[in-house]
Amino acid sequence: MLRYIAKRVIAAILTLLVLVTVVFFLVRLMPGEPFTSAKLTPVVAENMQKYYGFDKPLAVQYVQYLKNLLHGDFGYSMKYTNRTVNDIIAATFPFSADLGIRALVTAISFGLVFGIISALNRGNKIDFICVIIAIIGTSVPDFIMGAFLQYFFGIRWGLLPVAQYKGFSYTILPTMSLAFYTLASVSRIMRASMLEVVNQDYIKTARAKGLSSFRITTRHQIRNAIMPVITILGPTVAAVLTGTFVVESIFAIPGMGKYYVDSVSTNDYSMILGMTVFYGSFLVLCNLLVDILYGIVDPRVRIGGKAGEAP
Amino acid sequence: MTEKKLSPENFRIVGKNPEGMEKITRPNLSFWQDAWRRLRANRSAFIGLVILIIYALLAIFAPVLSRYGFSDMDADAMNALPSFAHWFGCDATGRDLWVRLWMGARVSLTIGLSAATINMCIGAILGGLCGYYGGKLDMIIMRIVDILYGIPTLIVTILVMVVIGRGIKTLIIAMCIVGWIGSCRFVRGEVYRLKEQDFVSAAQVLGVPNAVIILRHILPNIMGLMVTNLCMAIPWSIFQEAFLSYIGLGISPPNCSWGILAKEGIKMLRVAPHEVLIPAFFICTTMLALNLLGDGLRDAFDPKLRGTEV
Amino acid sequence: MKNKILCVILTAALAATLFGCGVYEGSDTAPEPIGAEAIGEEPGVSGAVSESLASETPNGGEKIFRYSELQEPTTLDPNKAKCILDNEVAHMTQECLVRNTAGKIEPGIAESWEISDDGLVYTFHLRDAKWSDGESIKAEDFVYGLQRLMDPATASEYAFIGEYVKNGAAVESGEKAPEELGIKAPDDKTVEITLDVATPYFLSLMGSSAQYSPIRKDIVEKYGNDFAATAEKNVYSGPFMITRTADGQIIFAKNPNYWNAGAIKLDGAELNCIAEGNTAVAMYESGELDFVKLPTETVVNYDDIDHEYMNGNEDYFYINEKSDNKILNNKNFRMALNYGLDRNTYIKLATDGVYSPCNALVMPLVSGAEKTYGEEYTVSSYPLDGDMARAQEFLKKAMEEEGFSDPSDIRVEITTTDAEASKKIAEVAQELWTQALGITITIRQVTYADIYGSVLPNGDYEIGYAGWGPDYSDPYTYLELFKSDSPYNYSNYENAEVDKCLNASRTETDAKKRMDLLNKAEQVILDDAALVPLQYRQQHYLLNDAFSGLNFYFCSINTDWTYADKAL
Repeated sequence: MLRYIAKRVIAAILTLLVLVTVVFFLVRLMPGEPFTSAKLTPVVAENMQKYYGFDKPLAVQYVQYLKNLLHGDFGYSMKYTNRTVNDIIAATFPFSADLGIRALVTAISFGLVFGIISALNRGNKIDFICVIIAIIGTSVPDFIMGAFLQYFFGIRWGLLPVAQYKGFSYTILPTMSLAFYTLASVSRIMRASMLEVVNQDYIKTARAKGLSSFRITTRHQIRNAIMPVITILGPTVAAVLTGTFVVESIFAIPGMGKYYVDSVSTNDYSMILGMTVFYGSFLVLCNLLVDILYGIVDPRVRIGGKAGEAP
Repeated sequence: MTEKKLSPENFRIVGKNPEGMEKITRPNLSFWQDAWRRLRANRSAFIGLVILIIYALLAIFAPVLSRYGFSDMDADAMNALPSFAHWFGCDATGRDLWVRLWMGARVSLTIGLSAATINMCIGAILGGLCGYYGGKLDMIIMRIVDILYGIPTLIVTILVMVVIGRGIKTLIIAMCIVGWIGSCRFVRGEVYRLKEQDFVSAAQVLGVPNAVIILRHILPNIMGLMVTNLCMAIPWSIFQEAFLSYIGLGISPPNCSWGILAKEGIKMLRVAPHEVLIPAFFICTTMLALNLLGDGLRDAFDPKLRGTEV
Repeated sequence: MKNKILCVILTAALAATLFGCGVYEGSDTAPEPIGAEAIGEEPGVSGAVSESLASETPNGGEKIFRYSELQEPTTLDPNKAKCILDNEVAHMTQECLVRNTAGKIEPGIAESWEISDDGLVYTFHLRDAKWSDGESIKAEDFVYGLQRLMDPATASEYAFIGEYVKNGAAVESGEKAPEELGIKAPDDKTVEITLDVATPYFLSLMGSSAQYSPIRKDIVEKYGNDFAATAEKNVYSGPFMITRTADGQIIFAKNPNYWNAGAIKLDGAELNCIAEGNTAVAMYESGELDFVKLPTETVVNYDDIDHEYMNGNEDYFYINEKSDNKILNNKNFRMALNYGLDRNTYIKLATDGVYSPCNALVMPLVSGAEKTYGEEYTVSSYPLDGDMARAQEFLKKAMEEEGFSDPSDIRVEITTTDAEASKKIAEVAQELWTQALGITITIRQVTYADIYGSVLPNGDYEIGYAGWGPDYSDPYTYLELFKSDSPYNYSNYENAEVDKCLNASRTETDAKKRMDLLNKAEQVILDDAALVPLQYRQQHYLLNDAFSGLNFYFCSINTDWTYADKAL
């Protein structure tokens, strides 16, 4: 297991290196300049180029960037002058992470429970209600969901704060908007997978052995059915934790999402790169954890202990 | 109760009947026929299919049949409520929403269907290979997946736009460059799980070629989940398009999509709510139809439920 | 059926996890909530966030002005301010030699000043004033500030604003050392600025441009590149100081060391950066904000209670005269575009009827010789309602000259950004022009970085949407856009007469004659149909009735709450 983890870590570092390289050169292909003031004069533009070292050959810039990266230095933002990308990430990530974790916990716990309940009650009213909730969740775009929640709960009924992020009551609406989609997908996948598992031989065996249906469901059915859910978790976790632009902008949450989107439309090279590397490492880490989790949860993978990697 | 004595006269030798032995009492159904039979019998799935067909027909014919053009502005009909003249009202620049809705449907449905299908195909092939063969191939594809995942979709979209300009094609390509990853990982996981199962081991031991194992044993088993996934992926593509429109990277104006309509409408929530409610309703019902259909297809394709009465 | 019980238990457990984990630790029968444990633990992060968030809430007795902006300031370094918001924040926190309050020049750190007869040398006499850390403000701080602005090593995007000062352009391009800049400090209390050419609006420009703020050399050297990165990495000379910048907010507190602290009524302010205009309006309604700018589509909801001001921004289309599309070089065609646009309908459709239609180049509110330019001068221009008959005449002439027989064969492309408002502008113009002229128009959308980074400067467009905000209150700031050697002349427009008038205006010392020259230039530009003017932005806003004393200005500083007061 240790060797396997070591191998994965090395692979992860290589992946990141390639990612940095690809994105480093991709952003330079984007049309336009990072200095977007409408009143930029050619002289000033040249000074800016020099200041950020863009007058040097691209290869030199690349090596310099990697050197800085080794020290964990993402450099200065080009739009938010005087602020480092590290600063901005440090200031905004906690919000995205906080919101993301709330949303994930809500989405996964509710999603699994809804999925299980609806599978166990297949075909009756409870199933129908759960499926309807799941369908609404996956059918409404997040910006509509967010705006509606904000309008009804915040403005119309005045039950919850309209925007910003200053305490528990502030977190409810954004969490709901962000969680709904994931919740719905988790519950649908869980339901499908539960139904799939129920016909498997080991369930029949267990039933034949006379195990109580409670034990069968908890020990055999759920445990096996949860696999596909775990597979989609890795990317979902990273995506949710690093913030979603839409929910953050509707609820005026100072998270990372806005900066990420902004940096792309203003060609803020160092910000795009910094955030990509941060997000990339996060993603790679999440996938690594999911793989290990997979090994722990899936009895077959654990016993097999094959040389290949867990999915 | 009377006891009847049996005597040899009651019996006669019929002999072997080679045809009868092999005769199948139920009609012989192919995989697809069976699936279709079961799908038809599933009422909610069928409703989903009908809704989708109606929407598709409206998308094709409604804009042609209306007397308004989709970009005709009318300063006197700004934010008009639904009426006999404008069935779904007008948007903030007095454009007829009925026509725009179905013009948008063309774009959104095209993008949704094609992006999701392409993604699913690429993902299934690569994921299947990874999961089944594992080893180096798996390692390489998974690392590519990790890298692609890390590249911001926005950059990819902008770069594709630079190369081929704005349009439906651009959005589909941009979504396909990164979109197959999800289904790839998913299929890979499933295949990996299945390949450890007894019926696959049995087939391997019997010397069945890999291609046959994949096609006859593994594929039917993951078909259900794949179809469910596809039906979730279509909404994903439609939402992704809406998100790109939300930040201004959608198709070029005055063309529109459901995402653009919803985005333009959401600003008017407190002025003219119908401008967001109408596109939202159609987005939702489309998703609903897709989901119902997806569920039905999942059941229809499930090999374990094959041949069962419905 | 035991599974039913399981369902109930699961639901109960779920409720328990949501409303505090303590509840369900006691019940040992409940199965562990799946998933929750894997990713579950409420993180330390969230604690940190809520703690830091809880730290401030303005209490009732204080006079705190809470307002919102759609953007976030890009920098707190006055030298590097590059947008209205940066400039506004610096205007509240730094004090230049003079202070421009809604166009009125007031003494700032300079108590008095003299201007030499040729209008070139300004001598300022400084008062005793202190920085927020108690150090006294010296003439040297102004000298250093300006030198730093122009030094290429600083790389300020707005450095061009200092080109008025002698040798400014040379220092900016690195030909001369910053020390050679035309600003001197003969002693601690005197600043002497020498200009390149006499500039009548120099004081007004300086009073509203944060880039001219005094800068403390020791602080800059202490923090290096991190100077002004956060609230505590700078010192403040203005009425307010920044005490905190985090969580999408900037918190201001009254600067007790400000020389004119008696005139400042507010105890502080809170700037909330809220990207969605509608969200900000909702926050105003729920009483969390005192001031909010209304997005155009919401104005109709607040007909009776909103206020408005002109924010100076003018939107227009550049027409690229060096484009490969030769028809754009045809004056009659450009005239047809201008006459064929019904600007009143355009305003209704594109801006919900909120902005003002515009058929000129210079915004009428800027200063003229004595009164405002609009009061003193008029230009003859295209009617606001358009004139379809004349538009058709022009179009016919243009088609004859360029060899077109069917108007729909004429294809032009409008380039605009991906922002919602600019997209709408292009869509409406496309529709109105198609209806009026029957020509074929397409729209190309590019990113913001692209349009100013390459599309406009490289002339890679046919008709390009742009907006211009004035830097100073003088017609020149608008007219410069069409001077042949101006870096902002993206339409490649060249007219010797315009150049002559504008150059002459730079040396003309008689205010009236100078204005005549500028007016003439404007008239020529309009007669040539060098652009398609669209609208002046009329900004509507909501203000809490308890507040008074806000100033609004159309140059560089839109919202000036320096002297605002709150009735308690």
